[in-house]
Amino acid sequence: MRSIRRQLLVWLLGGMLLAIAAAAVGTYLRAREDASALFDYQLQEMAGSLTGAPFAGVPPASSNVAPRSDTLVVQIWDRNGVALFMSQPHRVLPQYAQLGFNTISADSGQWRVFSTLAGGQVVQVAQPMSARRELAASLALHAILPLLAVMPFLGVLIWFTIARGLAPIDRVAADVARRSSAQLEPLSETDLPREVQPLVHALNGLLLRLSEALAAQRAFIADAAHELRTPLTAVHLQAQLAERATDDAERNAALAELKGGLERATRLSEQLLALAREEPGVPERANADVDLAALARRVVAELAPLAAAKDIDLGADASSPVLVRGDAAALTTLLTNLVDNAVRYTPTRGRVDVEVRGDDGSVILAVRDDGPGIAPADTARVFDRFYRGAVSQAPGAAHGSGLGLAIVRRIAERHGAEVDLNSGLDGRGLGVRVRFPRLPQS
Amino acid sequence: MRILFAEDDPMIGASVRRGLTQDGFTVDWVADGRAAELALAERVHDVLLLDLGLPRKAGLDVLTAMRRRGDTRPVLIVTARDAVSDRVAGLDAGADDYLVKPFALDELAARLRALLRRNAGRAEPVIVHGALELDPAARELRCNGTPVALSAREFALLEALLARPGAILSRAQLEEKLYGWSDAVESNAVEVHIHALRRKLGADLIRNVRGVGWMAAKPAASAP
Repeated sequence: MRSIRRQLLVWLLGGMLLAIAAAAVGTYLRAREDASALFDYQLQEMAGSLTGAPFAGVPPASSNVAPRSDTLVVQIWDRNGVALFMSQPHRVLPQYAQLGFNTISADSGQWRVFSTLAGGQVVQVAQPMSARRELAASLALHAILPLLAVMPFLGVLIWFTIARGLAPIDRVAADVARRSSAQLEPLSETDLPREVQPLVHALNGLLLRLSEALAAQRAFIADAAHELRTPLTAVHLQAQLAERATDDAERNAALAELKGGLERATRLSEQLLALAREEPGVPERANADVDLAALARRVVAELAPLAAAKDIDLGADASSPVLVRGDAAALTTLLTNLVDNAVRYTPTRGRVDVEVRGDDGSVILAVRDDGPGIAPADTARVFDRFYRGAVSQAPGAAHGSGLGLAIVRRIAERHGAEVDLNSGLDGRGLGVRVRFPRLPQS
Repeated sequence: MRILFAEDDPMIGASVRRGLTQDGFTVDWVADGRAAELALAERVHDVLLLDLGLPRKAGLDVLTAMRRRGDTRPVLIVTARDAVSDRVAGLDAGADDYLVKPFALDELAARLRALLRRNAGRAEPVIVHGALELDPAARELRCNGTPVALSAREFALLEALLARPGAILSRAQLEEKLYGWSDAVESNAVEVHIHALRRKLGADLIRNVRGVGWMAAKPAASAP
């Protein structure tokens, strides 16, 4: 695992070492330059002091004297090129015709040579370049040694400073680790370094969204449990009545009602499931081109028996294919809810029309009935889940789950469609219109 | 005993009405808060059975308004809200009892009888009147320990009269106790039932105050 601490330490110390190396090189170059000037001066002075001295002949070479690498070599010739003096006869440097300073390469390495002409003699003083390099290196080394000596101390300092700087992260981590899944209150953002604060802030944003989603989920479950209690109470009571029945006719009637109650409880749980499937945050399902008209015809065919039982004239006006982009299963749920609602709330011998048509820029799905409609006071709330308008006490009156339109709206939203309510057939009843964005290619 | 039942769910409403009718109660069922208030204004019901989640006017608002008007009739809340805070709010708003859905019909009937008993100032479940013992829970009448068979209306009529011995109940009051809104009342129904009761239990038990109504004679006076 990558460690910020180790990374910082490596980079800081590495960088410092590089800087020291650069300083060493700089010092070395500078020192060599200074040493060159100094030694050049020395060569010049030396040559000056030797001019005019009488030399006659070269002393025999004392080859047994070990040569010193850093010593100066002095050579003197007369104007005919006859060597008059050799300070180190075994180190013969080429006679240089050029006067002044020269750097030459010989077998024995690089030499700095100064030649001067005085009194018919050529005086040549030479010094190995290595002497200058050694001096410069030694100076450079002395300059950086103290810096190298403090490196371990710096390393320790950096190590602890980083630890101190990263402590807030550890604190935040400990705070988060201590929490149970229910503790979603925001983390404290005070006393945080500027670098850590954005992370904690973002984390708090996530915690807030999470707690909101959780609260919504909890509210939904509480609502659902509460709503399930009503049909279950009904079933409970119907079962007790069946139990109490004293004769077969009474018992059969009670059992028929019990069956109705069970159907209703089942339907509610199915609706709850449908709504839960459309909850925000559920992963998107496959999007495909769906023929809404064909879907409408299928749903109308499926619900035809229900309509026939109430003698309701249910029909579809959706002959030509109309494509929308979306989830076929969800769209079927939407259509089923709309048509089922209309059939359920429309009295016997009523009429329900389902229409699908492509408009200029959109696809319109309309389900209209000539039932009682929705009171204007209720129109704003009918989309709320579990909201039911005033109910009729008439036998066989509809008991909806209060979820149908909530489900419709949720699915419509997911498809980018708008739902609005208006009056139904012949200026009566209820009309629900869903407007889908039209597919570009259709 | 005549009960006003405010409940918006048709299945629950129908089932409770049938069940309580079997238990000898007369039940009028309304499906929203406004209808409940209209029915309360008639002042013919002995007890209000109140669901909290009513459309048009919430159950608690109906209860609060009723208590503010000085209506002291017993109220039993029947609701799916089971949180302690809901129960406390309901009882503190003036309810006498609180029953959480789902519930057993027998328990509902027993709680109603208890409320009515308390409201009549009695603690003992069986009404003893001279040689008569009337048990509202078992719907049984004994005379000197021998069971007497009564029709449901006869029993209800006797129960109403014995609940407050010495108090005179008019024909209208008795009819209200016996018949719900949906029942057809025949013009001389009360006389027919009283006649039957007198035949079974003796002519002295129920006295007619001409032009005013009927009363159950106080036990001391009616004892032979």
